[in-house]
Amino acid sequence: MSDAPTNRTSPPPPSLPENPLDVKQSHVVREFTHELPLTTCRIDPSGQFVFAGAEDFNVYRWNIDGDNKSKTVFSGHNSWVRSMDFSQDGRFLYTGGYDDHIGVWNTADAAPKPVKMVEAHKGWVRWVRVSHDGRYLASCGNDNLVKVWSLPDFALVQQFSGHKRFPYATVFHPDGKRLVSFDLMGIIKEWDLETGKELRSLEVKGMWGFDLKFQADMGGARDMRFSPDGKTLAVAGVTEVTNAFAGVAKPMIHLFDWETAKPGPSFKDDAFKGIAWGVRFHPEKFIIGAGAPQSGAKGMLWFWKPGEEKPFHTVTLTHCARGIDLTPDAKHLAVAQFDGKLKVYRLTAKVEG
Amino acid sequence: MGAAAVGTAGLAGLVSPTQAEELQSGQKRILQVFLQGGVSQLESWDPKPNTRYGGPFRAIPTSVPGIHISELLPHTAKRMHHLSIVRSIDIKTNSHQQGRLFMEKGRRTGVFPYVGAVASKYLAQKNAPLPGYLHVTTRGLEDNTDAFLSAQHGQLRLLGNKAPDNLVRPDKLTVDAARRRDDFRKRLNQRFSGRGGQRAFTESFDSSFAMAEKLMARKKMFEAEPDPKDVARYGTHDFAGKCILSRNLLENGATCVKVTHHGYDTHAENFNFHLEQLSEFDHTFCMLLDDLHDRGMLESTLVMVYSEFGRTPKINQRYGRDHWGTAWSIALGGCGIKPGVVVGKTNDEGTKVTDREVDGGHLFHTYFQALGLDSTANHDIPGRDIPIGDPSVSVIKELLA
Repeated sequence: MSDAPTNRTSPPPPSLPENPLDVKQSHVVREFTHELPLTTCRIDPSGQFVFAGAEDFNVYRWNIDGDNKSKTVFSGHNSWVRSMDFSQDGRFLYTGGYDDHIGVWNTADAAPKPVKMVEAHKGWVRWVRVSHDGRYLASCGNDNLVKVWSLPDFALVQQFSGHKRFPYATVFHPDGKRLVSFDLMGIIKEWDLETGKELRSLEVKGMWGFDLKFQADMGGARDMRFSPDGKTLAVAGVTEVTNAFAGVAKPMIHLFDWETAKPGPSFKDDAFKGIAWGVRFHPEKFIIGAGAPQSGAKGMLWFWKPGEEKPFHTVTLTHCARGIDLTPDAKHLAVAQFDGKLKVYRLTAKVEG
Repeated sequence: MGAAAVGTAGLAGLVSPTQAEELQSGQKRILQVFLQGGVSQLESWDPKPNTRYGGPFRAIPTSVPGIHISELLPHTAKRMHHLSIVRSIDIKTNSHQQGRLFMEKGRRTGVFPYVGAVASKYLAQKNAPLPGYLHVTTRGLEDNTDAFLSAQHGQLRLLGNKAPDNLVRPDKLTVDAARRRDDFRKRLNQRFSGRGGQRAFTESFDSSFAMAEKLMARKKMFEAEPDPKDVARYGTHDFAGKCILSRNLLENGATCVKVTHHGYDTHAENFNFHLEQLSEFDHTFCMLLDDLHDRGMLESTLVMVYSEFGRTPKINQRYGRDHWGTAWSIALGGCGIKPGVVVGKTNDEGTKVTDREVDGGHLFHTYFQALGLDSTANHDIPGRDIPIGDPSVSVIKELLA
C-alpha cells in the first residue's frame, strides 16, 4: 500500500538526506509559521514545496529545504482553501476554495497569480482531486454535486447528483474508471466515470452522528484516500458524536475493502476526543492519521497497522492537526496545525551533522 | 378582569388619552424571531470578510445601497429595505440565561416582564381572540415571563407547529355541564377572595382557563393542515411550519408571537452549522416578512430578529465560535422602525464596539416606542412606580421612523 504517486518524479527533498525509515524516531526537521490557523497542507510531486491553506483567503508555499523566508503567497481566492492537488507533472496547483471557485496556479511561480479561476460549484468547493492519469480533476461542493473536469481546459465532462447533503470529499479509484464521494451523513457513493451512473451507495453510520438535543448532523470525511492498489479506501472523520455543537466526538479512521464493500478494520482512539483530519497510506504497510482534540491544545499523529488494536506509535503535536501529507519518498510528513505552524517530520532517526 | 380590560385601564394611567386611543384603534403586534443559542454576527449582520476572525464567508450587497450582510442571507439581503441593523450591542455577559433575560426584560437583573408580556398588557385589543403572548418553539425554558403583570400576560408556549393538547371538549362532558362546572369554579374563586385569599392565586388559574377557551375556540386554526401553497413557499422543515403558524397567529389577533429557531450555539463546526441553519432561516423568514408586507401588516408589526448574544470573533480549534455578548448585532423592522438604517459600529476585527454602544435596555425602550408606547412611563400597577423601560438608558432614536 502506498499513497505516494508512483508515476511522478520523487527525489528526496534537498538537504533532507535519506536514512532508513524508523517512525518511532520521527522528529521535526522544519517548522514554518503563519500568523493564522492553517486549514490543510500538500507537498508537491517534486517534494520541493509544501503548500498550506489558512484561515484567510490565501494559500502559502514554502520551500521544504528553506526557512520561513521562503513563504510565498498565492492570492486570488475570496474565501478559505481547504483542499489542493497537483497536475501529474507537478506544474500546476489546483485549489478548492470556499468561494465556489477552483484556482489554477503555476506551482513554482516566484510571484504567483492565478492562471485561471474556475467557477465550479454554487457554494463551497470542499474537495479537489486529480485522477491518477492526470487527465481529470474531480471536485465536490455545497451544491451537493460531484463534478469531473478535463485538464487542462477545465471542460465539464461529468456531473454526478445524488447526495442529499454536502459531499465532503471525492477521490478517483486507481483503476481510472470510478470515482467515490463521501457526504456529511456518512453516505459513500461510487460513480461510473464513463456512463455517469451511480454504481453503489454505502452508508457508514459510524461516521455520522445526529445530536438529538440540537437536532444537528455531524460527520463527513475530513480526508479520504485509496490505497494505490485500489483495494482499500481510508476515510478520516468522526464517530460517537454525543454533542455536535460542542464538538464532542471521537476521531475515526475507517477502512473499507472496496471490492466487497465490507468495512475493514477501523481505528478509533478512545482516549482522544476530537476529529481525525488526515489520513495517508504509507508504502511500509501502515496508516498515518492525524487528529485535533475537542479541547486542549495537543493534536496527535497515529501510526497504525490495520488489524492491530492500537497504534504502534504516536506523536503528540503542539496543536491541532488540520491536514497531513507525505513527501514522495515517504520519509517526511508535513503537518498543518491550528496554531499556524506547518511542521515537517522526518520519519527516521536523526541524521548527524 | 380580562386582558383587554386590564390593558385599557392600564393605558389610561400610562399615556395620554390620544396615545391610548391610537393604540386601541390600530392593532400593533410584535413578531420575535429568536435565533436560540446565539447567532454569529459575523455570519449574519456584521460580516468582516478577509479579516483575522472573519471566517470563510463573504459579504454581499443588499437592497439598501452601502449595507452589506453575510452571503448566508441572500434572501434577506433583497429585503433589507424593510429592516435595520443594530451592530453595537454590548450586554457585558456571555451567559445564555443572563443574555436571554436581558434581551427579553430590558433589565440586566431583577423581576421584570418580558417584551411579550408587556405587549400583551398594553397592546392587546379588547376581546383579543388569542392569548397576548405566544411562543412557538420545540423546547424552551420555564420562566416568570409576566413578572408582576399577572398571569394572563405570561407566555403561552406552543410546542412546534402541533396543535395544543386537549383542544376538544371530552364527549362525556356536555356543553351545559362544562358551563356549570366553570360557574362553580368561579364561585369558589369568589369565595376564596371574599375570605381574604390572595387574588393572585386564583388569577393564574383564571387566566389559564381563559387562554384555553380562546385556543379551543380557534382549534381549526391549529388542526388544519398547512396550505400547500404556504408549504411550497416556506418549506417543509420544522421552522417553516412554525413560521406559517406564527403568521396565522398574528393574523388571527395574537399580539406578540415569538418563534424560535434552534441551533446556533455553535462551539464547534460554526461555519457548517451556520450554513445550514441560516439557509433555513433566511428563506423562511423572508416568506414570513413578505406575507406580513403583502397583507398590509408589516407597518403595524414590529419585527425583531435577535439572540441572547452573538459569537466570539475568535475562531476556536473546533472551527467554532463561543459565547460573545461584547460586540454583536440584531435586526429590526416593521412598525415604527426606520428601514435601511445601520446603528453603531464594531472595529475591523469585530472585537469591540467603536460607535454607539447599546444594550438590552436601549433596545427595550426602542421596541415599545416604535410601537407607540411610552416606555419611560410607569407600569400600571396600583401602588407601585415601576418604569416600563430601564430609566438609566434611553431609546435608540436613530431607529425610530
